[in-house]
Amino acid sequence: MYIKDHPILKKDNNHEVTFFYNGTTLKAKHGQTIAGALMANGIKKFGITRKLQQSRGLYCANGRCCSCFVTVNGLEHVLSCMTLIEDGMEVNPNSGDPDVRRGEYGN
Amino acid sequence: METDVLIIGAGPAGLNSAYEIASNGVQTVIVDESFFPGGQLKQQTQYFNNLPRQFEAQRGITLAETLANRLHSLPVTMLHKHTMIGVYKDGSIGVSNGESTFPIKAKKVIVTTGAAEETCLFPGWTLPGVMTVGAAQILMNRERVLPGKNAIILGCNSFSQEVAQQLKDCGVNILGIIEKNTSLGRESRERLHSDIPLLLNSYITRAMGRGEVEKVFINHNGSEQEWRADLICIGNGLSPILEPFEILDCSFTNKEKLGGLLPGYDSNFKTENSSVYVAGNAAGITCMGGVLLTAEIAAADVLRHLGVLNREDAARQTTYLWKELLRIETQTDSEVFYARVASIQEFHEKNNIPLPTSFHAILEEC
Amino acid sequence: MDKSTIVCRCEEINIDEIETAIKMGASTFDDIKRLTRCGMGPCQSKVCMNLVRELLSENLGKPLKEIPPSRMRMPLKITRLGSLVGKESSNNVLSVFSESSLEEGEQQNE
Repeated sequence: MYIKDHPILKKDNNHEVTFFYNGTTLKAKHGQTIAGALMANGIKKFGITRKLQQSRGLYCANGRCCSCFVTVNGLEHVLSCMTLIEDGMEVNPNSGDPDVRRGEYGN
Repeated sequence: METDVLIIGAGPAGLNSAYEIASNGVQTVIVDESFFPGGQLKQQTQYFNNLPRQFEAQRGITLAETLANRLHSLPVTMLHKHTMIGVYKDGSIGVSNGESTFPIKAKKVIVTTGAAEETCLFPGWTLPGVMTVGAAQILMNRERVLPGKNAIILGCNSFSQEVAQQLKDCGVNILGIIEKNTSLGRESRERLHSDIPLLLNSYITRAMGRGEVEKVFINHNGSEQEWRADLICIGNGLSPILEPFEILDCSFTNKEKLGGLLPGYDSNFKTENSSVYVAGNAAGITCMGGVLLTAEIAAADVLRHLGVLNREDAARQTTYLWKELLRIETQTDSEVFYARVASIQEFHEKNNIPLPTSFHAILEEC
Repeated sequence: MDKSTIVCRCEEINIDEIETAIKMGASTFDDIKRLTRCGMGPCQSKVCMNLVRELLSENLGKPLKEIPPSRMRMPLKITRLGSLVGKESSNNVLSVFSESSLEEGEQQNE
Protein backbone atom coordinates (compact mmCIF):
# COMPACT_ATOMS: atom_id res chain seq x y z
CA MET A 1 0.00 0.00 0.00
CA TYR A 2 1.26 3.47 -0.93
CA ILE A 3 1.79 5.84 2.02
CA LYS A 4 -0.10 8.98 1.01
CA ASP A 5 0.50 11.05 4.14
CA HIS A 6 3.95 10.24 5.37
CA PRO A 7 4.45 11.45 8.95
CA ILE A 8 7.91 12.90 8.17
CA LEU A 9 8.53 13.10 4.42
CA LYS A 10 7.07 15.95 2.36
CA LYS A 11 4.47 15.15 -0.27
CA ASP A 12 6.16 14.06 -3.48
CA ASN A 13 5.04 15.20 -6.91
CA ASN A 14 6.24 12.09 -8.66
CA HIS A 15 4.06 11.19 -11.62
CA GLU A 16 2.33 7.86 -12.04
CA VAL A 17 3.75 5.16 -14.31
CA THR A 18 1.98 2.13 -15.74
CA PHE A 19 3.64 -1.27 -15.90
CA PHE A 20 2.63 -4.87 -16.46
CA TYR A 21 3.05 -7.73 -14.01
CA ASN A 22 2.20 -11.19 -15.24
CA GLY A 23 0.11 -9.51 -17.95
CA THR A 24 -1.92 -7.38 -15.50
CA THR A 25 -1.72 -3.59 -15.79
CA LEU A 26 -0.55 -1.96 -12.56
CA LYS A 27 0.34 1.55 -11.47
CA ALA A 28 3.39 2.79 -9.60
CA LYS A 29 5.09 6.06 -8.75
CA HIS A 30 8.04 7.32 -10.77
CA GLY A 31 11.17 6.86 -8.67
CA GLN A 32 10.07 3.59 -7.08
CA THR A 33 12.03 0.42 -7.62
CA ILE A 34 10.32 -2.58 -9.20
CA ALA A 35 10.24 -4.19 -5.74
CA GLY A 36 8.61 -1.10 -4.23
CA ALA A 37 6.10 -0.92 -7.09
CA LEU A 38 5.10 -4.57 -6.63
CA MET A 39 4.78 -4.26 -2.85
CA ALA A 40 2.68 -1.09 -3.31
CA ASN A 41 0.30 -3.25 -5.33
CA GLY A 42 0.11 -5.88 -2.60
CA ILE A 43 2.43 -8.34 -4.37
CA LYS A 44 4.92 -9.91 -1.98
CA LYS A 45 5.82 -13.13 -3.74
CA PHE A 46 8.17 -12.25 -6.62
CA GLY A 47 9.08 -15.75 -7.72
CA ILE A 48 10.00 -19.31 -6.85
CA THR A 49 13.31 -21.02 -6.15
CA ARG A 50 14.87 -23.39 -8.66
CA LYS A 51 15.19 -26.51 -6.47
CA LEU A 52 12.31 -26.64 -4.01
CA GLN A 53 9.95 -24.19 -5.77
CA GLN A 54 9.69 -22.14 -2.57
CA SER A 55 8.32 -18.59 -2.59
CA ARG A 56 10.72 -15.68 -2.43
CA GLY A 57 10.27 -11.92 -2.18
CA LEU A 58 12.02 -8.79 -1.00
CA TYR A 59 14.40 -9.57 1.84
CA CYS A 60 17.40 -7.18 2.16
CA ALA A 61 16.31 -4.43 -0.31
CA ASN A 62 20.00 -3.65 -0.86
CA GLY A 63 20.97 -5.79 -3.84
CA ARG A 64 22.78 -8.38 -1.73
CA CYS A 65 20.47 -11.32 -1.01
CA CYS A 66 19.23 -11.94 -4.60
CA SER A 67 15.83 -13.08 -3.27
CA CYS A 68 13.88 -10.46 -5.18
CA PHE A 69 14.71 -11.59 -8.74
CA VAL A 70 12.12 -10.85 -11.42
CA THR A 71 12.11 -11.01 -15.22
CA VAL A 72 12.08 -7.56 -16.84
CA ASN A 73 11.22 -7.12 -20.53
CA GLY A 74 12.36 -10.71 -21.08
CA LEU A 75 15.64 -10.40 -19.19
CA GLU A 76 15.75 -12.91 -16.36
CA HIS A 77 17.16 -12.55 -12.85
CA VAL A 78 16.95 -8.80 -12.52
CA LEU A 79 17.31 -7.46 -8.97
CA SER A 80 13.95 -5.77 -8.45
CA CYS A 81 15.21 -3.81 -5.41
CA MET A 82 18.00 -2.14 -7.41
CA THR A 83 16.09 -1.40 -10.64
CA LEU A 84 13.75 1.56 -11.07
CA ILE A 85 10.29 0.97 -12.54
CA GLU A 86 9.69 2.46 -15.98
CA ASP A 87 6.57 3.25 -17.93
CA GLY A 88 5.46 0.24 -19.97
CA MET A 89 7.86 -2.18 -18.29
CA GLU A 90 6.88 -5.81 -18.56
CA VAL A 91 7.64 -7.54 -15.28
CA ASN A 92 7.20 -11.25 -14.71
CA PRO A 93 7.86 -13.38 -11.63
CA ASN A 94 11.11 -15.29 -11.42
CA SER A 95 10.42 -18.88 -12.38
CA GLY A 96 13.70 -20.52 -11.39
CA ASP A 97 16.41 -21.47 -13.86
CA PRO A 98 17.32 -19.28 -16.83
CA ASP A 99 17.09 -20.78 -20.31
CA VAL A 100 20.53 -20.07 -21.77
CA ARG A 101 19.86 -21.94 -24.99
CA ARG A 102 16.90 -19.89 -26.05
CA GLY A 103 18.95 -17.25 -27.82
CA GLU A 104 16.12 -14.72 -28.05
CA TYR A 105 17.96 -11.97 -26.21
CA GLY A 106 21.29 -12.10 -27.91
CA ASN A 107 22.81 -14.67 -25.61
CA MET B 1 39.67 5.70 -16.37
CA GLU B 2 42.38 7.19 -14.16
CA THR B 3 42.07 9.22 -11.00
CA ASP B 4 44.02 10.21 -7.91
CA VAL B 5 41.57 8.74 -5.42
CA LEU B 6 38.84 6.16 -5.92
CA ILE B 7 36.14 5.74 -3.30
CA ILE B 8 33.96 2.61 -3.22
CA GLY B 9 30.52 3.49 -1.91
CA ALA B 10 28.66 6.81 -1.69
CA GLY B 11 27.34 6.46 1.85
CA PRO B 12 28.19 8.92 4.63
CA ALA B 13 31.82 7.71 4.94
CA GLY B 14 32.46 7.77 1.18
CA LEU B 15 30.87 11.19 0.68
CA ASN B 16 32.67 12.70 3.65
CA SER B 17 36.12 11.43 2.65
CA ALA B 18 35.45 12.59 -0.93
CA TYR B 19 34.78 16.09 0.40
CA GLU B 20 37.95 16.17 2.52
CA ILE B 21 40.04 15.00 -0.42
CA ALA B 22 38.46 16.83 -3.34
CA SER B 23 38.25 20.16 -1.48
CA ASN B 24 42.07 20.11 -1.73
CA GLY B 25 41.74 19.95 -5.51
CA VAL B 26 42.49 16.22 -5.73
CA GLN B 27 40.70 14.28 -8.50
CA THR B 28 38.24 11.86 -6.91
CA VAL B 29 35.95 9.21 -8.37
CA ILE B 30 33.12 7.65 -6.35
CA VAL B 31 31.60 4.36 -7.44
CA ASP B 32 28.14 3.56 -6.06
CA GLU B 33 25.60 0.82 -6.76
CA SER B 34 22.54 2.95 -6.18
CA PHE B 35 20.70 5.54 -8.28
CA PHE B 36 21.57 8.43 -6.00
CA PRO B 37 24.08 9.10 -3.22
CA GLY B 38 23.65 8.75 0.54
CA GLY B 39 23.89 5.01 1.12
CA GLN B 40 21.71 3.89 4.01
CA LEU B 41 21.12 7.52 5.05
CA LYS B 42 18.62 7.78 2.19
CA GLN B 43 15.87 6.18 4.28
CA GLN B 44 17.00 7.17 7.77
CA THR B 45 14.43 9.73 8.86
CA GLN B 46 15.67 9.62 12.46
CA TYR B 47 17.84 12.40 13.90
CA PHE B 48 21.58 11.98 14.30
CA ASN B 49 22.88 14.03 17.22
CA ASN B 50 26.38 12.97 18.09
CA LEU B 51 28.11 14.23 14.91
CA PRO B 52 31.51 15.89 14.31
CA ARG B 53 31.49 19.61 15.13
CA GLN B 54 31.03 20.86 11.53
CA PHE B 55 27.63 19.12 11.31
CA GLU B 56 24.56 20.15 13.24
CA ALA B 57 22.12 17.52 14.43
CA GLN B 58 19.89 16.50 11.52
CA ARG B 59 17.83 13.71 10.05
CA GLY B 60 19.68 11.07 8.03
CA ILE B 61 17.82 11.98 4.84
CA THR B 62 18.95 15.61 5.26
CA LEU B 63 22.50 14.58 6.12
CA ALA B 64 22.63 12.56 2.87
CA GLU B 65 21.75 15.70 0.93
CA THR B 66 24.16 17.86 2.94
CA LEU B 67 27.05 15.47 2.26
CA ALA B 68 26.24 15.03 -1.44
CA ASN B 69 25.57 18.71 -2.18
CA ARG B 70 28.97 19.77 -0.77
CA LEU B 71 30.65 17.88 -3.62
CA HIS B 72 28.97 19.77 -6.46
CA SER B 73 31.68 22.33 -7.18
CA LEU B 74 34.56 19.94 -6.43
CA PRO B 75 36.60 17.70 -8.78
CA VAL B 76 34.45 14.66 -7.97
CA THR B 77 33.10 12.23 -10.57
CA MET B 78 30.13 10.30 -9.23
CA LEU B 79 29.48 6.99 -10.98
CA HIS B 80 25.96 5.93 -9.98
CA LYS B 81 24.69 2.44 -10.81
CA HIS B 82 28.30 1.26 -10.95
CA THR B 83 29.56 -1.69 -8.92
CA MET B 84 33.06 -2.76 -7.98
CA ILE B 85 33.22 -6.39 -9.10
CA GLY B 86 36.93 -7.16 -9.04
CA VAL B 87 40.58 -6.16 -9.27
CA TYR B 88 42.90 -6.27 -12.31
CA LYS B 89 46.46 -7.58 -12.10
CA ASP B 90 47.92 -4.06 -11.98
CA GLY B 91 45.71 -3.18 -9.00
CA SER B 92 43.11 -1.25 -11.01
CA ILE B 93 39.59 -1.69 -9.70
CA GLY B 94 37.15 -3.47 -12.03
CA VAL B 95 33.86 -1.62 -12.19
CA SER B 96 30.69 -2.72 -13.97
CA ASN B 97 27.68 -0.63 -14.94
CA GLY B 98 25.70 -3.68 -15.98
CA GLU B 99 26.52 -3.16 -19.68
CA SER B 100 30.29 -3.24 -19.65
CA THR B 101 33.20 -3.58 -17.25
CA PHE B 102 36.21 -1.26 -17.15
CA PRO B 103 39.28 -0.62 -14.98
CA ILE B 104 39.73 2.45 -12.79
CA LYS B 105 43.35 3.12 -11.97
CA ALA B 106 43.80 5.14 -8.79
CA LYS B 107 46.76 6.13 -6.64
CA LYS B 108 44.71 5.46 -3.51
CA VAL B 109 41.46 3.57 -2.93
CA ILE B 110 39.17 4.13 0.06
CA VAL B 111 36.68 1.31 0.63
CA THR B 112 33.54 2.63 2.31
CA THR B 113 31.15 -0.21 1.60
CA GLY B 114 29.40 0.04 4.96
CA ALA B 115 27.63 -2.74 6.76
CA ALA B 116 25.11 -5.47 6.03
CA GLU B 117 22.31 -6.66 8.28
CA GLU B 118 22.76 -9.98 10.03
CA THR B 119 19.93 -12.46 9.86
CA CYS B 120 18.28 -14.87 12.27
CA LEU B 121 17.22 -18.41 11.47
CA PHE B 122 13.76 -19.82 12.07
CA PRO B 123 11.64 -22.19 9.98
CA GLY B 124 9.88 -20.03 7.39
CA TRP B 125 12.38 -17.15 7.42
CA THR B 126 12.68 -17.39 3.63
CA LEU B 127 8.97 -16.62 3.07
CA PRO B 128 7.96 -13.34 1.40
CA GLY B 129 6.92 -10.98 4.19
CA VAL B 130 10.07 -11.75 6.17
CA MET B 131 12.64 -9.01 5.64
CA THR B 132 15.34 -7.14 7.50
CA VAL B 133 14.34 -4.06 9.52
CA GLY B 134 16.50 -2.06 7.12
CA ALA B 135 14.46 -3.34 4.17
CA ALA B 136 11.21 -2.35 5.92
CA GLN B 137 12.66 1.13 6.47
CA ILE B 138 13.65 1.41 2.80
CA LEU B 139 10.12 0.46 1.71
CA MET B 140 8.54 2.92 4.13
CA ASN B 141 10.83 5.96 3.71
CA ARG B 142 12.34 5.57 0.23
CA GLU B 143 9.54 3.83 -1.66
CA ARG B 144 6.72 5.21 0.51
CA VAL B 145 5.19 1.76 0.63
CA LEU B 146 3.84 0.03 3.74
CA PRO B 147 5.72 -3.28 4.08
CA GLY B 148 2.77 -4.92 5.87
CA LYS B 149 -0.20 -4.37 8.16
CA ASN B 150 0.55 -6.52 11.22
CA ALA B 151 4.23 -6.70 12.05
CA ILE B 152 6.51 -8.61 14.38
CA ILE B 153 9.97 -7.20 15.05
CA LEU B 154 12.53 -9.91 15.80
CA GLY B 155 15.41 -8.65 17.93
CA CYS B 156 15.39 -5.65 20.26
CA ASN B 157 18.13 -3.09 19.65
CA SER B 158 18.14 0.66 19.16
CA PHE B 159 17.81 0.38 15.36
CA SER B 160 14.96 -2.16 15.40
CA GLN B 161 13.19 -0.09 18.07
CA GLU B 162 13.56 3.04 15.94
CA VAL B 163 12.17 1.33 12.84
CA ALA B 164 9.33 -0.23 14.87
CA GLN B 165 8.31 3.24 16.02
CA GLN B 166 8.54 4.65 12.48
CA LEU B 167 6.41 1.79 11.13
CA LYS B 168 3.85 2.44 13.86
CA ASP B 169 3.79 6.16 12.99
CA CYS B 170 3.03 5.16 9.38
CA GLY B 171 0.07 3.07 10.51
CA VAL B 172 1.54 -0.42 10.81
CA ASN B 173 0.18 -2.41 13.75
CA ILE B 174 3.25 -3.58 15.69
CA LEU B 175 2.24 -6.80 17.43
CA GLY B 176 5.43 -6.89 19.43
CA ILE B 177 9.20 -6.91 19.59
CA ILE B 178 10.49 -10.44 20.16
CA GLU B 179 13.80 -10.67 22.03
CA LYS B 180 15.58 -13.88 22.97
CA ASN B 181 17.48 -12.36 25.90
CA THR B 182 15.91 -11.91 29.31
CA SER B 183 17.20 -8.34 29.73
CA LEU B 184 18.08 -5.41 27.47
CA GLY B 185 21.20 -3.35 26.96
CA ARG B 186 21.35 0.21 28.29
CA GLU B 187 20.59 1.90 24.96
CA SER B 188 17.54 -0.30 24.33
CA ARG B 189 16.19 0.22 27.85
CA GLU B 190 16.37 3.98 27.38
CA ARG B 191 14.43 3.72 24.13
CA LEU B 192 11.61 1.52 25.41
CA HIS B 193 8.27 2.77 24.17
CA SER B 194 5.45 1.65 26.39
CA ASP B 195 2.96 1.43 23.51
CA ILE B 196 4.95 -1.23 21.62
CA PRO B 197 4.75 -4.61 23.41
CA LEU B 198 8.14 -6.16 24.17
CA LEU B 199 8.45 -9.90 24.78
CA LEU B 200 11.71 -10.89 26.43
CA ASN B 201 12.87 -14.51 26.66
CA SER B 202 11.05 -15.31 23.42
CA TYR B 203 11.74 -16.42 19.88
CA ILE B 204 9.91 -17.34 16.67
CA THR B 205 9.43 -21.09 16.40
CA ARG B 206 7.91 -21.00 12.90
CA ALA B 207 6.43 -18.68 10.29
CA MET B 208 3.86 -20.11 7.90
CA GLY B 209 1.64 -19.08 5.03
CA ARG B 210 0.67 -19.75 1.42
CA GLY B 211 3.33 -17.90 -0.57
CA GLU B 212 3.75 -15.26 2.16
CA VAL B 213 3.76 -14.94 5.94
CA GLU B 214 0.26 -15.39 7.40
CA LYS B 215 0.80 -16.80 10.87
CA VAL B 216 3.73 -16.87 13.25
CA PHE B 217 4.32 -19.11 16.25
CA ILE B 218 6.08 -17.42 19.15
CA ASN B 219 7.66 -19.12 22.12
CA HIS B 220 7.39 -16.76 25.08
CA ASN B 221 8.74 -17.86 28.47
CA GLY B 222 8.53 -21.48 27.32
CA SER B 223 4.93 -21.49 26.09
CA GLU B 224 3.84 -21.21 22.48
CA GLN B 225 1.34 -18.78 21.04
CA GLU B 226 0.04 -18.19 17.51
CA TRP B 227 -0.08 -14.69 16.04
CA ARG B 228 -1.63 -13.51 12.77
CA ALA B 229 1.03 -11.40 11.08
CA ASP B 230 1.99 -10.52 7.51
CA LEU B 231 5.38 -8.94 8.23
CA ILE B 232 8.40 -10.10 10.22
CA CYS B 233 11.31 -7.65 10.43
CA ILE B 234 14.61 -9.23 11.44
CA GLY B 235 16.81 -6.86 13.44
CA ASN B 236 19.88 -8.82 14.39
CA GLY B 237 22.50 -6.11 14.14
CA LEU B 238 25.09 -5.22 11.52
CA SER B 239 28.41 -6.59 10.35
CA PRO B 240 31.03 -4.95 8.08
CA ILE B 241 30.79 -5.75 4.36
CA LEU B 242 33.92 -7.76 3.58
CA GLU B 243 33.75 -8.81 -0.09
CA PRO B 244 36.17 -6.25 -1.58
CA PHE B 245 38.99 -6.82 0.91
CA GLU B 246 40.19 -10.35 0.19
CA ILE B 247 40.90 -9.66 -3.50
CA LEU B 248 42.61 -6.40 -2.46
CA ASP B 249 45.06 -8.51 -0.37
CA CYS B 250 43.85 -7.17 2.97
CA SER B 251 43.81 -9.39 6.05
CA PHE B 252 40.84 -9.88 8.37
CA THR B 253 40.62 -9.56 12.11
CA ASN B 254 37.83 -10.32 14.54
CA LYS B 255 36.31 -7.94 17.08
CA GLU B 256 32.88 -8.81 18.39
CA LYS B 257 32.22 -5.23 19.54
CA LEU B 258 32.92 -3.97 15.99
CA GLY B 259 30.51 -6.41 14.35
CA GLY B 260 32.69 -9.54 14.04
CA LEU B 261 35.02 -9.96 11.07
CA LEU B 262 36.56 -6.77 9.70
CA PRO B 263 39.62 -5.78 7.66
CA GLY B 264 42.78 -5.05 9.63
CA TYR B 265 44.00 -1.42 9.49
CA ASP B 266 46.57 0.89 11.06
CA SER B 267 46.05 4.10 13.03
CA ASN B 268 45.37 5.93 9.75
CA PHE B 269 42.83 3.34 8.52
CA LYS B 270 45.32 2.04 5.96
CA THR B 271 45.08 -1.72 5.35
CA GLU B 272 47.89 -4.17 4.65
CA ASN B 273 47.65 -3.07 1.03
CA SER B 274 49.37 0.33 1.23
CA SER B 275 47.13 1.87 -1.44
CA VAL B 276 43.86 0.70 0.16
CA TYR B 277 42.10 2.43 3.06
CA VAL B 278 38.89 1.54 4.85
CA ALA B 279 36.46 3.83 6.66
CA GLY B 280 32.93 3.98 8.03
CA ASN B 281 31.04 0.90 9.13
CA ALA B 282 33.23 -1.30 6.90
CA ALA B 283 35.99 -0.55 9.44
CA GLY B 284 33.80 -1.70 12.33
CA ILE B 285 30.20 -0.93 13.26
CA THR B 286 29.96 2.44 14.95
CA CYS B 287 27.70 5.48 15.40
CA MET B 288 27.15 8.06 12.61
CA GLY B 289 29.74 10.37 14.17
CA GLY B 290 32.26 7.53 14.08
CA VAL B 291 31.41 6.76 10.44
CA LEU B 292 32.12 10.37 9.43
CA LEU B 293 35.30 10.76 11.51
CA THR B 294 36.99 7.53 10.39
CA ALA B 295 36.44 8.79 6.82
CA GLU B 296 38.26 12.03 7.68
CA ILE B 297 41.20 10.22 9.30
CA ALA B 298 41.63 8.04 6.21
CA ALA B 299 41.32 11.10 3.96
CA ALA B 300 44.04 12.97 5.90
CA ASP B 301 46.54 10.14 5.40
CA VAL B 302 45.64 9.84 1.71
CA LEU B 303 46.30 13.58 1.31
CA ARG B 304 49.67 13.20 3.06
CA HIS B 305 50.74 10.36 0.78
CA LEU B 306 49.67 12.35 -2.28
CA GLY B 307 51.89 15.21 -1.07
CA VAL B 308 48.98 17.59 -0.53
CA LEU B 309 49.38 17.75 3.25
CA ASN B 310 52.84 17.88 4.79
CA ARG B 311 53.76 15.48 7.58
CA GLU B 312 53.27 18.01 10.40
CA ASP B 313 49.89 19.26 9.20
CA ALA B 314 48.65 15.70 8.65
CA ALA B 315 49.81 14.64 12.12
CA ARG B 316 48.13 17.65 13.71
CA GLN B 317 44.88 16.97 11.88
CA THR B 318 44.95 13.24 12.67
CA THR B 319 45.57 13.91 16.37
CA TYR B 320 42.58 16.25 16.45
CA LEU B 321 40.36 13.75 14.59
CA TRP B 322 41.33 10.87 16.90
CA LYS B 323 40.43 12.99 19.93
CA GLU B 324 37.08 13.72 18.31
CA LEU B 325 36.59 10.01 17.56
CA LEU B 326 37.41 9.22 21.18
CA ARG B 327 34.89 11.82 22.38
CA ILE B 328 32.07 10.75 20.06
CA GLU B 329 32.50 6.97 20.14
CA THR B 330 32.91 6.80 23.91
CA GLN B 331 29.75 8.88 24.34
CA THR B 332 27.79 6.30 22.35
CA ASP B 333 29.56 3.08 23.35
CA SER B 334 33.06 3.23 24.81
CA GLU B 335 33.63 -0.49 24.15
CA VAL B 336 33.46 0.17 20.39
CA PHE B 337 36.29 2.67 20.70
CA TYR B 338 38.40 0.35 22.90
CA ALA B 339 37.88 -2.57 20.49
CA ARG B 340 38.96 -0.34 17.60
CA VAL B 341 42.12 0.78 19.42
CA ALA B 342 42.93 -2.83 20.38
CA SER B 343 42.52 -3.97 16.77
CA ILE B 344 44.85 -1.15 15.59
CA GLN B 345 47.48 -2.07 18.20
CA GLU B 346 47.32 -5.70 17.08
CA PHE B 347 47.68 -4.64 13.45
CA HIS B 348 50.81 -2.58 14.20
CA GLU B 349 52.35 -5.41 16.21
CA LYS B 350 51.56 -8.04 13.58
CA ASN B 351 53.06 -5.97 10.78
CA ASN B 352 55.97 -4.62 12.84
CA ILE B 353 55.03 -0.98 12.32
CA PRO B 354 55.61 1.32 15.30
CA LEU B 355 52.52 3.24 16.42
CA PRO B 356 52.91 6.96 15.63
CA THR B 357 53.84 9.01 18.69
CA SER B 358 50.69 11.10 18.25
CA PHE B 359 48.67 7.92 18.90
CA HIS B 360 50.20 7.34 22.34
CA ALA B 361 48.01 10.08 23.82
CA ILE B 362 44.97 8.12 22.62
CA LEU B 363 46.28 4.90 24.17
CA GLU B 364 46.68 6.66 27.50
CA GLU B 365 43.00 7.59 27.42
CA CYS B 366 42.00 3.94 27.19
CA MET C 1 15.41 -25.99 15.71
CA ASP C 2 13.88 -27.91 12.83
CA LYS C 3 16.89 -29.30 10.94
CA SER C 4 15.11 -28.78 7.60
CA THR C 5 15.32 -24.98 8.09
CA ILE C 6 17.00 -23.38 5.07
CA VAL C 7 20.36 -21.69 5.80
CA CYS C 8 21.48 -20.82 2.25
CA ARG C 9 18.56 -19.03 0.60
CA CYS C 10 20.00 -19.25 -2.91
CA GLU C 11 21.03 -22.91 -3.16
CA GLU C 12 18.39 -23.98 -0.62
CA ILE C 13 20.71 -25.84 1.72
CA ASN C 14 19.31 -26.67 5.16
CA ILE C 15 20.85 -27.15 8.62
CA ASP C 16 20.82 -30.94 8.25
CA GLU C 17 22.82 -30.86 4.99
CA ILE C 18 25.42 -28.57 6.52
CA GLU C 19 25.73 -30.65 9.70
CA THR C 20 26.05 -33.79 7.62
CA ALA C 21 28.89 -32.17 5.68
CA ILE C 22 30.60 -31.29 8.98
CA LYS C 23 30.19 -34.90 10.16
CA MET C 24 31.82 -36.01 6.90
CA GLY C 25 34.86 -33.91 7.78
CA ALA C 26 34.12 -30.38 6.59
CA SER C 27 35.89 -27.92 8.89
CA THR C 28 35.70 -24.67 6.93
CA PHE C 29 33.04 -22.78 5.02
CA ASP C 30 34.83 -23.64 1.79
CA ASP C 31 34.66 -27.38 2.61
CA ILE C 32 30.90 -27.04 3.09
CA LYS C 33 30.67 -25.15 -0.20
CA ARG C 34 32.39 -27.93 -2.11
CA LEU C 35 30.27 -30.65 -0.50
CA THR C 36 26.85 -29.00 -0.62
CA ARG C 37 26.91 -25.89 -2.90
CA CYS C 38 25.96 -23.84 0.18
CA GLY C 39 27.02 -20.23 -0.47
CA MET C 40 27.57 -20.80 -4.20
CA GLY C 41 24.37 -19.24 -5.49
CA PRO C 42 23.83 -15.73 -6.84
CA CYS C 43 24.45 -13.98 -3.48
CA GLN C 44 27.77 -15.83 -2.98
CA SER C 45 27.29 -16.36 0.78
CA LYS C 46 26.55 -12.72 1.54
CA VAL C 47 23.54 -13.73 3.66
CA CYS C 48 24.53 -17.14 5.07
CA MET C 49 28.20 -16.34 5.84
CA ASN C 50 27.81 -15.99 9.60
CA LEU C 51 24.97 -18.53 9.87
CA VAL C 52 27.29 -21.20 8.47
CA ARG C 53 30.23 -19.98 10.57
CA GLU C 54 28.03 -20.31 13.66
CA LEU C 55 27.00 -23.85 12.68
CA LEU C 56 30.68 -24.73 12.20
CA SER C 57 31.53 -23.20 15.56
CA GLU C 58 28.77 -25.12 17.38
CA ASN C 59 29.41 -28.46 15.69
CA LEU C 60 33.21 -28.32 15.92
CA GLY C 61 33.22 -26.86 19.44
CA LYS C 62 35.46 -24.01 18.28
CA PRO C 63 35.01 -20.31 19.11
CA LEU C 64 33.38 -18.33 16.28
CA LYS C 65 36.41 -16.08 15.88
CA GLU C 66 38.49 -19.07 14.82
CA ILE C 67 36.16 -19.87 11.91
CA PRO C 68 37.43 -17.99 8.84
CA PRO C 69 35.04 -16.52 6.25
CA SER C 70 34.39 -18.20 2.92
CA ARG C 71 36.66 -17.33 0.01
CA MET C 72 35.35 -14.17 -1.65
CA ARG C 73 35.91 -14.41 -5.40
CA MET C 74 35.38 -12.21 -8.42
CA PRO C 75 32.94 -11.06 -9.59
CA LEU C 76 32.00 -9.65 -6.20
CA LYS C 77 28.41 -9.02 -7.24
CA ILE C 78 25.98 -10.70 -9.63
CA THR C 79 27.28 -9.79 -13.10
CA ARG C 80 26.11 -10.71 -16.59
CA LEU C 81 28.63 -12.40 -18.86
CA GLY C 82 28.01 -9.86 -21.60
CA SER C 83 29.09 -7.01 -19.33
CA LEU C 84 32.34 -8.80 -18.52
CA VAL C 85 33.50 -9.21 -22.10
CA GLY C 86 32.31 -5.84 -23.37
CA LYS C 87 30.24 -5.09 -26.44
CA GLU C 88 32.80 -5.65 -29.21
CA SER C 89 33.99 -9.03 -28.04
CA SER C 90 30.62 -10.29 -26.88
CA ASN C 91 30.60 -12.42 -30.04
CA ASN C 92 33.10 -14.68 -28.30
CA VAL C 93 30.57 -15.41 -25.59
CA LEU C 94 27.93 -16.01 -28.22
CA SER C 95 30.17 -18.57 -29.89
CA VAL C 96 30.63 -20.42 -26.59
CA PHE C 97 26.90 -20.65 -26.22
CA SER C 98 26.30 -21.71 -29.79
CA GLU C 99 28.71 -24.61 -29.27
CA SER C 100 26.49 -25.92 -26.53
CA SER C 101 23.25 -25.20 -28.37
CA LEU C 102 21.28 -27.73 -30.39
CA GLU C 103 22.78 -29.16 -33.56
CA GLU C 104 20.89 -28.62 -36.76
CA GLY C 105 18.13 -31.16 -37.06
CA GLU C 106 18.22 -31.97 -33.36
CA GLN C 107 14.82 -31.78 -31.70
CA GLN C 108 14.25 -30.03 -28.43
CA ASN C 109 12.29 -32.19 -25.99
CA GLU C 110 9.35 -30.12 -24.81
